[in-house]
Amino acid sequence: MTKEEQQEFKTLVLPHLEELHRTAYHLCHVRCNAEDLVMETVTKACEKFRNLREKTKIKHWLLRILSNTFISSYRSQKGLTMVEYTETTHDDGGGFSLFAELSQPFLLWWGNPERELVNKLMDEEIQKAIGELPQEFRLAIVLCDVEGLSYDEIATMTDVPIGTVRSRIARGRSLLQKKLYHYAQDLGLIHAGRKIHDKAKEFQSEH
Amino acid sequence: MTKQRNFSQNISCEEAIQRIFPYIDDYLQGTSREELEHHLETCRHCFDRVEFEKLLKSRLRKLNIQQKTNLLQKKIEAIIDKF
Repeated sequence: MTKEEQQEFKTLVLPHLEELHRTAYHLCHVRCNAEDLVMETVTKACEKFRNLREKTKIKHWLLRILSNTFISSYRSQKGLTMVEYTETTHDDGGGFSLFAELSQPFLLWWGNPERELVNKLMDEEIQKAIGELPQEFRLAIVLCDVEGLSYDEIATMTDVPIGTVRSRIARGRSLLQKKLYHYAQDLGLIHAGRKIHDKAKEFQSEH
Repeated sequence: MTKQRNFSQNISCEEAIQRIFPYIDDYLQGTSREELEHHLETCRHCFDRVEFEKLLKSRLRKLNIQQKTNLLQKKIEAIIDKF
């Protein structure tokens, strides 16, 4: 790179550093690994910068490099909390829904335990649950829910068909909600809600 | 003449639930979207579920990792300067 290119690259890339680091952190769930992933991403971006035609799309270009680096380089690396998985054999939450588990449609005036749970969960608990997802699910959830990208953008970034993206997001959310439910149980956050829920079900079956 | 919306079928809650994620992600379009929105007008349970999924999605969007990237930025600038 010439000095001018280096300066241009810095001007384009550095404003996206926090986003890159946040995405990397949610994918790796370990701060030092997240920094390594960002540095590897930037190194690859430096090598490919001259091939970049649409510089207005640099954020998506960087996220694509980061996603591919995460998948290829970090898949087999020890020390990362990866859960091996294939498209057909894994726990995908089995269609679990926090709403279906906790909502009380016949006791609306008693509050909304499912909403209360979402409000009570700490960032760290949600991040831990994301970190435990199988990596393909995690990547889809982080890009869609945390970074706010569209299905089309995620499909392009991860080189998978859009139907696969849709499936991974649905299964990833289901599994994430299942994990959040178990955390909430462990933390005692849903105990009261369950008691109300169970009583309401009893009431419904008796009448 | 006002064009009447003609829903060929009223979808079930099961079918609606299958469409909720692409709906909140603004991926669902056309007849599939119209059918779901029609269902949500008449089904409180599915409507509430959509609202809940939107809430959870927005919660994830607000995740804060309290990152400090000052040191990382220096490392990144050093990498760039080597190229």
